[in-house]
Amino acid sequence: MNARNLTLGSLRELGTVGLVAGLCGAYAATLIMAASMLGALDDGSGSGADAMLTVVASVFIGIALYVGTVVIINAVDTVISGRLRHIALLRLLGSSARSLRRSVMRSTVTVGAVGAAAGLLAGTALADVVRIVLVSRGTMPKGDYPLVSPQLAVAFVLIAASAMVAGWLGSRVVLGVSPATALAGTTAYRRAPLRKSVLRAVLAVLFLGGGFAVLGLGAMVGESSEMGFFIAFLGSVASATGLLIGARFVIPRVVSMFSRLLGGDPSSRIARRNAVLDPLRTTRSTMGLVIGVTLVTTFASGMRALSDSVSSWDLDPEQAAMARQVLSVASTVLICIIVISSIIAAVGFVSTMSLTVLQRHREIGLLRALGFTRSQVRTMITKESVALSASAVLFGIALGLVYGTLGAQSLVGVMTTGLVWGLPLPALIVIALAGLVLVLVSSRRPARRAVAVTPVEALRIEA
Amino acid sequence: MTSSISLQHNQTQPVLAMHQVSKLYGEGSGRVAALDEVSVAIPRGGFTAIMGPSGSGKSTFMNVAAGLDDATSGEVVLAGQPLSKLGDEGRTVLRREQVGFVFQAFNLVPTLSALENILLPFDLAGRKVTAEQRQWIDQLVHTLGLAERIDHRPSELSGGQQQRVAIARALASQPAIIFADEPTGNLDSRSSREVLTLLRTASREYGQTIAMVSHDPVAASYADRILVIADGRIVGDHGPLTPQQISDLLIGFEIGAPA
Repeated sequence: MNARNLTLGSLRELGTVGLVAGLCGAYAATLIMAASMLGALDDGSGSGADAMLTVVASVFIGIALYVGTVVIINAVDTVISGRLRHIALLRLLGSSARSLRRSVMRSTVTVGAVGAAAGLLAGTALADVVRIVLVSRGTMPKGDYPLVSPQLAVAFVLIAASAMVAGWLGSRVVLGVSPATALAGTTAYRRAPLRKSVLRAVLAVLFLGGGFAVLGLGAMVGESSEMGFFIAFLGSVASATGLLIGARFVIPRVVSMFSRLLGGDPSSRIARRNAVLDPLRTTRSTMGLVIGVTLVTTFASGMRALSDSVSSWDLDPEQAAMARQVLSVASTVLICIIVISSIIAAVGFVSTMSLTVLQRHREIGLLRALGFTRSQVRTMITKESVALSASAVLFGIALGLVYGTLGAQSLVGVMTTGLVWGLPLPALIVIALAGLVLVLVSSRRPARRAVAVTPVEALRIEA
Repeated sequence: MTSSISLQHNQTQPVLAMHQVSKLYGEGSGRVAALDEVSVAIPRGGFTAIMGPSGSGKSTFMNVAAGLDDATSGEVVLAGQPLSKLGDEGRTVLRREQVGFVFQAFNLVPTLSALENILLPFDLAGRKVTAEQRQWIDQLVHTLGLAERIDHRPSELSGGQQQRVAIARALASQPAIIFADEPTGNLDSRSSREVLTLLRTASREYGQTIAMVSHDPVAASYADRILVIADGRIVGDHGPLTPQQISDLLIGFEIGAPA
């Protein structure tokens, strides 16, 4: 038995790491291969589109990788927080906190590398197969396409490195475990309070406030000049950066606000409290969803606003139909490309929900002993999932509508009278339905497991 | 609700009655009887200690008696209701309305404040706290010295304070019976004394029925009846004893037990 098994436990617990790395890998490979094929197509004209495509692909891959890293950090942190006594025992027997963290890092990098390799392989194979089919059908011209791309190796290294960093950051909780915890009779779970970083708060406020101000300015300038889009883009990047930096201040508040709507009965109250018990975990488990939903909504809303603006212009019917057609295709393609962050975030969310319930075994047993019926326990778990995912989805939609609408305004405001709100109803309905599915999927298994907890077994002292 | 009203008319009926109750674990030759045809009645108002060495079946006794676990055979009648006739839901509701619990550790819901923990049984049953009950709870909180910590979360309370909150919760709804499983197991001797005195007071002054599982002779000496369990059977049923007497009694069983 090696130290890794002792700290991180079963393969299932590491499964999320592998799955997320695999998704990132498959996604990266698909984009890289698509970019290199388009580049090969374009070679004759030499317009530099190749480099441009690589940059765009890198940005998308970067976003997916960022979401993936947050998800892995959270998975590792959740597993380890559930094993504090176990880790305290290892510390008691002589493991140093550093060596435990190193072993966690080793296992996430190993599993991450395996997942990344499998994902990259699958993505590359998929891209090649699709290309061969398209060429044979005549949809794509015959040509000298590369079978692989050297950039795949870069992607592999980056994914594995992200898994390593995530393992290190996620295992920070080990530092707070004193060996004496293993000896003490367990009392309530207590987590070290969030370190209040003034620098982080100041940066977040600056980027957020400044970013949104610049974004608004861009939208206004867009009314009269073509510089608007450039200004708005800078504003979006700055405000998004502010949101990422300040997520741990903003997201728990958003969740706590929305979850008040759940109701005041005991199962809702406990669900609500658990949803924001640990601000950092609340943030990490919903942040990916917020990012994903924001990106999808931004594109859907922006494209919708553009399309509505086009309708208001003085175009002949044929041109208008053409423009709408182009926008609709572009919007579909972009959303398909961007939706991966939401998928990775959803995978992470499902895994965190199920791990936190495992960790609350005793609490659930106590609630059952005190008179929570099975259906109240089930409701409690479902409502916690609702509190987190609904907040993330609604927050993401709100952000996306603002970014999309202001972005479109900054781009075509010059040609359109007034501000056109992009309200992409079909996309919003799909997002809401996807959110509902996520709630059902993420709470079904944990709820079933929670309902199966018997007070006798959960409250045994040795447990 | 109707059951508790009918109970009050029937003061002579025991709060807990067990008839030939067995609890078996395992299958075939590996079968072990944690409870072996136990019959016992606990009348209203007493403070009973259930004692026995480790592995004697005393925790199983509590789990089965409180409806937390099924008996393999026999019948448990708790607060006038035969448990075998109740499903999981029925037993949950019975526990909620008629039973209070104090465990050795992990008694409190971590996300609820001390007061919210105390009020949880009322919230769960969807009952409004009447003015009279509110007064009783305030009195409990005051007597237990919890007034200043009442809005704190369990993680901000000491072990003794957590245990006192658990006792306040158990006493607050004035249940038919309180089961206490090693309630002083994790406490220092001063907190232990406080908790035990409190349980005895609740029984003597407020007529609260209490069944306490313990292996500690000092804890058991606070009770006015001592049941001794060994190998899943009740092997002794005594009135109040001193810690020394209880200790001798237990040592006698341990030595006398066949190897």
